[in-house]
Amino acid sequence: MAEVSLSKVTKEFGAVSVIKGIDLQIADGEFCVFVGPSGCGKSTLLRMVAGLEEISSGALRIGGRDMTQVGPSDRGVAMVFQSYALYPHMTVAENIGFGLRMTGHDKAEIAKRTSAAAKMLQLDHLLDRKPGQLSGGQRQRVAIGRAIVRNPDVFLFDEPLSNLDAALRVQMRGEISRLHQDLGATMIYVTHDQVEAMTMADKIVVLSAGHIEQVGSPLELYHRPRNLFVAGFIGSPKMNFLTVEARPAPGGAEVTLPGGAVVTLAGQIAVAGQMTLGLRPEHASATGVGDAVLEGTVKLAEHLGSETLFFVALSDGSEIAVKADGLASERPGDRMRVGVPARACHLFDAAGQALINGDLTR
Amino acid sequence: MFPTPIQKASPAARIGYQVLLPVALMIWLIPLIGVAVTSLRPASDLAAGNYFGIPSGLAFENYAAVFRDSPIGWYILNSFKVTVPTVIGAVALSCLTGFALAVYGFRANLWVFFAFVAGNFIPFQILMVPVRDMTLRAGMYDTTLGLVLFHIAFQTGFCTLFMRNFIKGLPFALIESARVEGVSEWRIFRHIVLPLMRPAIAALSVLVFTFVWNDYFWATVLVQGQHAMPVTAGLYSLNGQWVAAWHLVSAGSIVAALPPVLMFFLMQRHFIAGLTLGATKG
Amino acid sequence: MSDTARSAGFWKRNQLKIAPWAFLAPGAIMFLLYVLIPIVQSVWISFHDWDGLGDKVWIGLGNYVELLDDDTFYVALKNNLIWLALYLLAIPMGLATALFLNQTVWGIRLYKSLFFFPFVISQVVVGLMFTWFYAPDFGLFSQLIKWLTGTEIAVLADERFVTLGIIVAGLWPQTAYCMILYLTGLNNLNPEQIEAARMDNARGWRLLWHVILPQLAPATFIAMVVTVIGALRSFDLVSIMTAGGPYGSSQVLSYFMYEQALSEYGYRMGYGAAIAVVLFLIMMVFITLFIVRMIAQERNR
Ligand SMILES: Nc1ncnc2c1ncn2[C@@H]1O[C@H](COP(=O)(O)OP(=O)(O)OP(=O)(O)O)[C@@H](O)[C@H]1O
Ligand SMILES: [Mg+2]
Repeated sequence: MAEVSLSKVTKEFGAVSVIKGIDLQIADGEFCVFVGPSGCGKSTLLRMVAGLEEISSGALRIGGRDMTQVGPSDRGVAMVFQSYALYPHMTVAENIGFGLRMTGHDKAEIAKRTSAAAKMLQLDHLLDRKPGQLSGGQRQRVAIGRAIVRNPDVFLFDEPLSNLDAALRVQMRGEISRLHQDLGATMIYVTHDQVEAMTMADKIVVLSAGHIEQVGSPLELYHRPRNLFVAGFIGSPKMNFLTVEARPAPGGAEVTLPGGAVVTLAGQIAVAGQMTLGLRPEHASATGVGDAVLEGTVKLAEHLGSETLFFVALSDGSEIAVKADGLASERPGDRMRVGVPARACHLFDAAGQALINGDLTR
Repeated sequence: MFPTPIQKASPAARIGYQVLLPVALMIWLIPLIGVAVTSLRPASDLAAGNYFGIPSGLAFENYAAVFRDSPIGWYILNSFKVTVPTVIGAVALSCLTGFALAVYGFRANLWVFFAFVAGNFIPFQILMVPVRDMTLRAGMYDTTLGLVLFHIAFQTGFCTLFMRNFIKGLPFALIESARVEGVSEWRIFRHIVLPLMRPAIAALSVLVFTFVWNDYFWATVLVQGQHAMPVTAGLYSLNGQWVAAWHLVSAGSIVAALPPVLMFFLMQRHFIAGLTLGATKG
Repeated sequence: MSDTARSAGFWKRNQLKIAPWAFLAPGAIMFLLYVLIPIVQSVWISFHDWDGLGDKVWIGLGNYVELLDDDTFYVALKNNLIWLALYLLAIPMGLATALFLNQTVWGIRLYKSLFFFPFVISQVVVGLMFTWFYAPDFGLFSQLIKWLTGTEIAVLADERFVTLGIIVAGLWPQTAYCMILYLTGLNNLNPEQIEAARMDNARGWRLLWHVILPQLAPATFIAMVVTVIGALRSFDLVSIMTAGGPYGSSQVLSYFMYEQALSEYGYRMGYGAAIAVVLFLIMMVFITLFIVRMIAQERNR
């Protein structure tokens, strides 16, 4: 069993506080993805789990054992680096077997495990090459192979796919997911990439400026963001935010949209005031279907073939993105009636906390 | 590319450049060429006042005479006895210190590093009296060992600067990745970093060889008698004996200069890589 | 629990704290013993009267006071300044040579190596070569002067020219060194920046000044460092070519110190140490400048 648990973990570099108190439970066998804007501390947190950065305060437990003071080699973790960190003077086989050789495993055992890992990653025919003679994807696989042979409890990945081109990235994404199913090990994976996070994760941890904004399954984060930050971070294109007036009303919250239209959201709010309404572009309707309508002018139309993305300027000067059919024919300058379905709307208070999350199943 | 490639210039400029090159080289190397020619000039030419004309013959005899009539062969052997152990010692020590300073972020790191760097720039004279005294008292005065130990210590300064910067240029993830795999620090050094340091080791070896071979100051300070004297100091004392026998002085000079020159031509790329460390960004 | 997690012993736990010192120890001890401690000892000795054998006699600032009254000291100091000023010519000369050689024509690699040649040769040999070159009667240089002016100048025996003559000998290898630094720098120029500048109509000198030289700044910095150090260290050539003569007119501090401490006139270790301390302090000004710049660079990494 190798669940990973962090409690009140912090990290300071000198006077700069980079990780500000993280509490997190990752279950055995779970695929956990850290996402967040650049510089928010994802790599640092991962490296603290690996033991490459000291933990300033707080505790880390892996498989129930306190690992806070334990060196990286004794934590039962393996790490795959963004740069792959392959030893350039060793062959693929030597690279994969190096850790075992250095920790005193016998030759036969090393050979056995190396070839098993190589088979799993389709590297069998490359075992005698040096890293310089491999393609990006192959190098990536060697780096993963090096992690596999050590039979770790926890795999750590720091943006492992970011040096690959788009097609390879999709392929390797699949391979890592398959690996996770085959090995059943706990994996922690850092990425910038929304799609990677959404497609691979059992659990996503959204970080910002050194603290956790929200933890949940991909769909949970998509449908029930806890605050403006998560709402804006998860989902592409980004969720639209409109400044609105809201007040409690019988049967829900009555929201006055820019331009004066009123929509009533199911859910309770305590006080009236200026708030933020969130609506994803894919839920807004370019044909005016919905519980309320926003009038505006098309500023820009991006035709992607399968779909069209309109940027519509509203009467109060704010702008809203609307995803529409690939055949939609409006052009810049045309008037557009944007339909707002109440059940897809999120409402955030002045502090950015979600008061109401839409529910599409309604 | 700057200046503009000569290939793009007019044909006249191109030919002019091709002609100018050897002429400029000849002028640049006049002292060297003069000495080289003199070293092959028969003594009779000099006696007859033929200093610049075509030598009346090629007197390889001068070289034979230098080896036969003076201990220069012995001096050269001494130079090797000083230089080779120094190269090995200084490179070995600086691999270790360079690794320590490049890989570990301990508090005194930068201070230790700058002590090594600053030590490099110091005038030898400030070390002379105490080092000579220490060598005397340790019974190593007038021995090649005394010279070797000093040179190792001093060259370690420059070599550490070089090695540290070289290792800093390696991807740090290599080391971290090995750490996660449970490789001990010594084995990280031995199996990962050291194999990648080969170019740096080659560069430093030729450089240190040249520096130490060409050292004259310490050879006069720490050595007195013939039996341990390196060729630089030896040549100086021979110069005193060979007053006005310029054909011998020249032949001796050429012999003394030859080993580092050969080293340079054999390992030119490494030599220049070492010497120009820091001359470019990154 | 998998096989990668084992119990941690003392060494394993503290490895990262101990390892740097273990790696550092052999080299650092040697360096301490032979370089850092002797500096302090020299300063200490400079306050004594000492012949190197008997007891040291404390005389406080006595050696320094004597130095202030020593004419040779002022000659040496003046010559050191001349060395410093003229030696810096190696930098523009090295740059000019590098620009001249930075072409790709047949055999250019050999030309570059041969131009670099003087640096590889021991200064003792360089000194002998130039002694021969300057020799009255049969030296190439004096013949040339005679042919040009009709009078003969014995450079190394003439108080007016002797220091200049030695410096020229020193400039020969030093220019080669600066040249190789600049050749490496030129080799690593950013070609797109030069092309962009050419599109902006910068040519020749202006291109050199505004675009090339700034990119060569690291090479210039190193060239400055090695040239200043080289100028203040000038010992070998003075010793070989004139031994400070004629009448002490080509003295420099480094040779003056050596002569006082280890000469046939008797061993004046304390006095020599005092001269060395003065030289060291002059050098320290430059070392500090260099180190400050290096620290700034390290911080920017
Ligand atoms: N060794 C260090 N010393 C000082 N500050 C550091 C150090 N390492 C990281 N930081 C700072 O800590 C913060 C978090 O860095 P980290 O590398 O964890 O970000 P990240 O989320 O991985 O970013 P990215 O997505 O760009 O990789 C950054 O502001 C960074 O500048
Ligand atoms: Mg990162």
